[in-house]
Amino acid sequence: MLLEVRDLHVEFHTRDGVAKAVNGVGYRVDEGETLAVLGESGSGKSVTAQAIMGILDVPPGRVTGGEVVFQGRDLLTLKEDERRRIRGAEMAMIFQDALSSLNPVLTVGDQLGEMFTVHRGMSRKQARAEAVELMDRVRIPAARERVGQYPHQFSGGMRQRIMIAMALALEPALIIADEPTTALDVTVQAQVMELLAELRREYRMGLVLITHDLGVVADVADRIAVMYAGRIVESAPVHDIYKAPAHPYTRGLLDSIPRLDRKGQELYAIKGLPPNLMSIPPGCAFHPRCPLARDVCRTDEPPLYQVSATRGSACHFWRECLDD
Amino acid sequence: MTEPILEVSDLVKHYPLTRGTVFRKQAGAVRAVDGVDLRLGRGETLGIVGESGCGKSTVAKMLVNLERPTAGSIRYKGEDITRLSGRALKAVRRNIQMVFQDPYTSLNPRMTVGDIIGEPYDIHPEVAPKGDRRRKVRELLDVVGLNPEYINRYPHQFSGGQRQRIGIARGLALRPEVIVADEPVSALDVSVQAQVVNLMDRLQSEFDLAYVFIAHDLSVVRHISDRVGVMYLGRIVETGTDTEIYDHPTHPYTQALLSAVPVPDPGAREHRERIILSGDVPSPTDIPSGCRFRTRCWKARERCALEVPALAVPATFAAAGGPAAHDSACHFAEERHVVPEGRHGGGPG
Repeated sequence: MLLEVRDLHVEFHTRDGVAKAVNGVGYRVDEGETLAVLGESGSGKSVTAQAIMGILDVPPGRVTGGEVVFQGRDLLTLKEDERRRIRGAEMAMIFQDALSSLNPVLTVGDQLGEMFTVHRGMSRKQARAEAVELMDRVRIPAARERVGQYPHQFSGGMRQRIMIAMALALEPALIIADEPTTALDVTVQAQVMELLAELRREYRMGLVLITHDLGVVADVADRIAVMYAGRIVESAPVHDIYKAPAHPYTRGLLDSIPRLDRKGQELYAIKGLPPNLMSIPPGCAFHPRCPLARDVCRTDEPPLYQVSATRGSACHFWRECLDD
Repeated sequence: MTEPILEVSDLVKHYPLTRGTVFRKQAGAVRAVDGVDLRLGRGETLGIVGESGCGKSTVAKMLVNLERPTAGSIRYKGEDITRLSGRALKAVRRNIQMVFQDPYTSLNPRMTVGDIIGEPYDIHPEVAPKGDRRRKVRELLDVVGLNPEYINRYPHQFSGGQRQRIGIARGLALRPEVIVADEPVSALDVSVQAQVVNLMDRLQSEFDLAYVFIAHDLSVVRHISDRVGVMYLGRIVETGTDTEIYDHPTHPYTQALLSAVPVPDPGAREHRERIILSGDVPSPTDIPSGCRFRTRCWKARERCALEVPALAVPATFAAAGGPAAHDSACHFAEERHVVPEGRHGGGPG
């Protein structure tokens, strides 16, 4: 096992009150495995990733409980300088927006090279050579000529490749990619996802892919964890979930997307809105929007029931959902 | 098709690039839209898809007269609206309204929802006499599924999906016949997106609206459109009914675009053919000669660099007819299935 998150809690203290962004999240990623974390805005999927990486804005954010066990050590108990050594070298992150994640006044060569000068103590010249090789590896054409260019001189897809190169630089065991292709056009998205999948196989890295796109998940993930209101509501191998979801929220999501392969009737729409994190409904957080909700859902928070050896669902009525 | 309500021919928008400050010289142009033809029937939905920079939003702006075309015509019920001005233009604008992409920036944060939705009546007072406006706004709120009691609230008190409903209500205020919607659901979460798409579907039949629906999400466009046009670098490269385009694409760009869309079916992963295009879209300041897609096309031959392919039914399909016989601007058009057959169920019914 590479990474295990256990019962993680994160809060944000704001002027208007306490927003409970993450409320007991648990998931695990094995070596060489791709876990997709699926959720809509405000579900806590990115905040969980930030807590794992140790890049949460503190304050207003605060981890109030749980463990993040990475290669046998609980990261939350480490000192900041120990965490900094792990970050980049052992685990790396790819962000959605490459343009604002890269430094506009440094050349891409300098930014890639920095990984080697800081973590590996290489000379500038050596680091430059490594940067060119990395750019080659993520298939940026004419790497030798372009290593001295600035981020704005690259297209969106090429910038995302530079982000990937930077994450790969020190060959980490785990990569967390937060919506890595959301800002890209479909044809470019296909290029980048293919590159990411290939590199992951080559390096046998674990990958946590954070996304809201059910199509992307189906394409690359081994397992899925679906998040709602700061909790995992369903977790399963990818084939199981698309065949028969065991949580009404997952079912609702799958039913509400229009399909490329046929003309649909009226789309199924999950009624209502995602909850306000300052006042999450009691019981099951999804109950106000759930077609299966009954009295018990309004009072008792469902645990993650064991659906099978590899599946879990946080729904009191998962059997009904599965049979439906 | 029924009598077109909107007919666009050879629409062009070039943005000049100048050099020098004292002696300004034109040093080329961004050819954002470079010869587009469209027809929109009454009560019909025309979807326009394409990647960023293909010119789809510029087309939208010209349709509602926010941009003046460099050349070409836009005929609304036979009358060329690009030549109109003053009172005549105002009258036409009433009938062609727009819904914008970003529900966060397209609503004035200092105006109440009632003022935002009622503002069109200030410009066109003939539609609603002053005393009648509040009532009309309440009606509109109800029509788009918002509580009419919210009339005095401000945009920040609403979620993204609700704001988009406000934008739609404003678009409907003048009872237009055509609504141009530029990426109306792409800023929304999946579950909310379905609500807004269903709303637009319902309003269309209720008010007999014609939509020009612009989006980059090919699945959403298929869902809502009767006909679809695929744009690349300022031109329509293929157009037809949704079945013709999605199940029988003949232009290589359309095929690549469709094959790149991730399908929510892990079973399709192994046996799905992916066309991965190499390189990036060329700059609209420096458009390739002949076919503008040839620099990324795996089928390109010498002829493609010399001759601009016309948007017409390719000769190979014209005789036989059938769903492959639709307009496609390719010298070597071939049918190719790239969308996997739907296998697992999904959606009620």
